[in-house]
Amino acid sequence: MAQYVHPEVLVTTEWVAEHAADPGVRIVESNEDRALYVQGHVPGAVEIDWQVDLQDQVRRDYVDRAGFEQLCRKYGISNNTTVVFYGDKNNWWACYAFWVFKLYGHPDCRIMNGGRKRWDLDGRAWSTDRVHPQQTSYVAPEQDASVRALRDEVLKHQKAGRALVDVRSPEEYSGQRLHMPDYPNEGALRGGHIPGAVNVPWVLSVNDDGTFKSAKELEKLYTKDSRLKRRSPTVAYCRIGERSSLTWFVLKYLLGFSNVRNYDGSWMEWGNCVGVPVVKGTEPSGGSDPHGVAEAAEASVPPAPVHA
Amino acid sequence: MTSVETRLNSIISEFADLDGREKLELLLDFANRLPPLSATYLERKAIEDRRVHECQTPVFLWPEVIAGRARLVAEVAPEAPTVKGFVALLAEAIEDQPAAEAEGLPDDILERMGLAEVLGILRTRGLRSIVGHVKRGITRQFNAKT
Repeated sequence: MAQYVHPEVLVTTEWVAEHAADPGVRIVESNEDRALYVQGHVPGAVEIDWQVDLQDQVRRDYVDRAGFEQLCRKYGISNNTTVVFYGDKNNWWACYAFWVFKLYGHPDCRIMNGGRKRWDLDGRAWSTDRVHPQQTSYVAPEQDASVRALRDEVLKHQKAGRALVDVRSPEEYSGQRLHMPDYPNEGALRGGHIPGAVNVPWVLSVNDDGTFKSAKELEKLYTKDSRLKRRSPTVAYCRIGERSSLTWFVLKYLLGFSNVRNYDGSWMEWGNCVGVPVVKGTEPSGGSDPHGVAEAAEASVPPAPVHA
Repeated sequence: MTSVETRLNSIISEFADLDGREKLELLLDFANRLPPLSATYLERKAIEDRRVHECQTPVFLWPEVIAGRARLVAEVAPEAPTVKGFVALLAEAIEDQPAAEAEGLPDDILERMGLAEVLGILRTRGLRSIVGHVKRGITRQFNAKT
């Protein structure tokens, strides 16, 4: 595979510099560290925060449909706006915000390849201006279940022996590392992984400059080395669903997986659930290969189109 | 009221009437004031395990007690300015104050600054754990020396 399957979802810093002020374009920054946006952002970009803006502040869930519509209106996003996400940490949170926008069916979402790091490396200017977008109207559909996996669905998926990719670090995957006592809210009662899940740490998908690896490298990583199949239903998870949104983006848009969902409950839910299966160690399940049997002929099948 | 409390209250009052964005701007001012590590601490950084492993970005802390007085030497990666600003703020609050007072740093500083709602639950708890880390470090040193 010489090219990404959906190259149109990635834009360069140059494209952003040229189009940031276009009326049909809204640039959105999403970061781990909110002060970075204040320190300097892409001129004209608004900030949408994954914790404060995208999540419900009482229940553990995303904002509801009305909340999402309100957010878009406030930030000057209409249903037909091209929304370009970027951020720190190799676009973790940008991919997470992208994913939430897809959850609510926003048609035209893109990622600025390389995020803040690449913008900086390209020597482009940062702005500290306050951005006041004009309020828009926005109507969102109900959540698109095809991008999100809920716990019971993951349980069924796992029992059926379908593909799971755990994108956490090898230490978290093996169960060697639980989160620290000082972070009880980000920890889990049990360490390990969902039986059958292959471990492909998210960081392997990106280059040092924050951009995504080439189609060829990604294909080797996911479909050859990890034996994931483009046409097999696949679920990605991590700890709270953020790193796995990046992997979800890579699988769905760059490699053209036809059915991939993000399990946003991730290990913070699974590792605290009563009665769900957990295994420890470096192998998906007791050393056997969980994905090697089905769809052995997949390599010759062209990827199914995905409508972004 | 102890001198650490007085200092903290003064810092908290600076934040009180600001909107979310201004609070972060003020926190950046604190971050910019955190001095770089001296040569001595750079050497120590290479050999001592001072990294706060709970933090995903590199944060190195030396909560210290010298002649009964507290201080906090720190290095925080520039890509984490919120953490850097908060650590700088803690360092300013306890600098050269009696160690017993620094041990009593309250846990609800971010709530009182109005930053908790700007940062959200997970970040707030993460930063709060840094307060715990500093307090425990001061206590350990204080106990070792008394």
